[in-house]
Amino acid sequence: MSLAKVCNRVDYFLEVFTSALMVGLVLDVTWQVVTRFFTDNPSSFTEELARFFLIWIAFLGAAHVFRKGAHLGLDYFVEKFSPDAQNKIVKTILVFVVIFSVCILLIGGSSLAYLAWDLDQSSASLGLPISIVYLAIPVSGVLFLLFSAESFKNYSNI
Amino acid sequence: MDISVVILIASFVALLLLNVPIGIAIALSGFFSLLLSLDFVSTTTTMAQRMSAGVDSFALLAIPFFILSGFLMGQGGIAHRLIEFAKILVGRLPGGLAFVNILSCTLFGAISGSAVAATSAIGGFVIPEMEKDGYSREFSTAVTVTASTTGMLIPPSNILIVYSLASGGVSIAALFLAGYLPGLLVALCLMIASAIYAKAKGYGIASEKQSGELLKKTLDAIPSLFLVLLVIGGIVSGYFTPTEAGAIAVLYSFVLSTLIYKEVKIKDLSGVLNKSVCTTAIVMLLIAASSAMSWVLSYENIPQSISDFFLSFSNNPIIVLLMINILLLLVGTFLDMTPAVLIFTPIFLPIVEALGISPIHFGIIMILNLSIGLCTPPVGSVLFVGCSIGKTSLAKVIPPLLPLYLAMFIALLIIICVPALSTWLPMVFGL
Repeated sequence: MSLAKVCNRVDYFLEVFTSALMVGLVLDVTWQVVTRFFTDNPSSFTEELARFFLIWIAFLGAAHVFRKGAHLGLDYFVEKFSPDAQNKIVKTILVFVVIFSVCILLIGGSSLAYLAWDLDQSSASLGLPISIVYLAIPVSGVLFLLFSAESFKNYSNI
Repeated sequence: MDISVVILIASFVALLLLNVPIGIAIALSGFFSLLLSLDFVSTTTTMAQRMSAGVDSFALLAIPFFILSGFLMGQGGIAHRLIEFAKILVGRLPGGLAFVNILSCTLFGAISGSAVAATSAIGGFVIPEMEKDGYSREFSTAVTVTASTTGMLIPPSNILIVYSLASGGVSIAALFLAGYLPGLLVALCLMIASAIYAKAKGYGIASEKQSGELLKKTLDAIPSLFLVLLVIGGIVSGYFTPTEAGAIAVLYSFVLSTLIYKEVKIKDLSGVLNKSVCTTAIVMLLIAASSAMSWVLSYENIPQSISDFFLSFSNNPIIVLLMINILLLLVGTFLDMTPAVLIFTPIFLPIVEALGISPIHFGIIMILNLSIGLCTPPVGSVLFVGCSIGKTSLAKVIPPLLPLYLAMFIALLIIICVPALSTWLPMVFGL
């Protein structure tokens, strides 16, 4: 399977998964309101679950947005260069994205998840291992790397 | 200055100019700077931990909710109904359509949390109408761009939630109430400026005859405006937390746009969800990276040095506020609002609090100040969206923007000098 095809599939899965998390978020917090108003036993896990959903949406969504090229940036000065120079600039940008993905997301995130697993940290009300929550970070790192590779390939073929 | 600070600033500016995504540029410059103080693995782990801690907050959850409800309302015919309602109120005044534009943006700001959403939802309808009525396309775009920033101050406002987080817990309900009068003042200043401009250019009086439809149009707009009561009323009275109010707003706007106004079909929902996820992820990456950068700054004791520097100049609150505002105006032109709030609030808030300025008042000043930056190049997300909606270019839209910048600037000065505009309403409600 070609790189583009793999990326398309992964990206489609990301889109569906993050949308589902978003719907889950709305239902989760609605459930919190409903149980607080209509029962004597307000739900205690909803707040924690919602925070975990948001972390996953944030980090996976960031990779999805990166593939769309929709992150905010300052394109004002770069646009003034020739197309040839712009191509080189895009590749330089990708180098920095790779440094970010490898150092902060992949290494930093894995080490964070490992520490939480090693210390056997679990969440207060759901009892979920915290390392599962932190896992969103290295997973996002892998996705960033995959999409950077695709983008690098596209810019090399021009 | 310390070498780690030089690295932080230099690498950030270099990455920014290179067009590296701003969130990644912020995270990397914090990372490079921290490498000087910690070993490699500790630095990576600290950055990852600070980034995830930055978005691990129940209060922040209100942001995806207000984004989602904003998109539902933008597609759901709510914008159109608010415009018709605004026409009833101000449409027949001289320069009427400019007023309609400003008022619609303000009303839309009162039900959604984002200026970009207001620009595209309102501008898409009003700019062509204004052009038909003889206004230039550029002026109409300029009015939409500046007017939609009133939504930053008028609740529900995502950026006020971010400020609450950055300030270490100023009440969101108090900030929301504090935003109303300043938001309306900005709208008023913009109306005055655009009336003068329209008169000088001889732009028309709204030619529409309105009869019989008045009642129907008002009734049409009521369900949209009811959202204000539900969300803000719920938060202020303490029935909901802002996050819960956000979820309620999503459900309400979903029912309104799919079942009552029937303008969003079930098959449109996946698109709306994806757009909301993307907008949320863009904001959250900025929040995660800025929280990490802010942590690095305080690790390196920057806020303390800046505070000493400012206070060595003057102890007069107004003079210090003016100095801070000049700096923020510069920052706002090249940095998006969310990172600016997250990075500079922890630096400036202790200074102004030491001078007896209320954190609520300062929050409103900061947001309005940075709102001006949203309408200026080289980084101005609202300006760019406005230009694409208005199908005009940056260079052409700048001349009519100048008097409107002036209006926003005057509103800023008034709000700096009259703290009661920000603090009176929260006080009345005992917040």
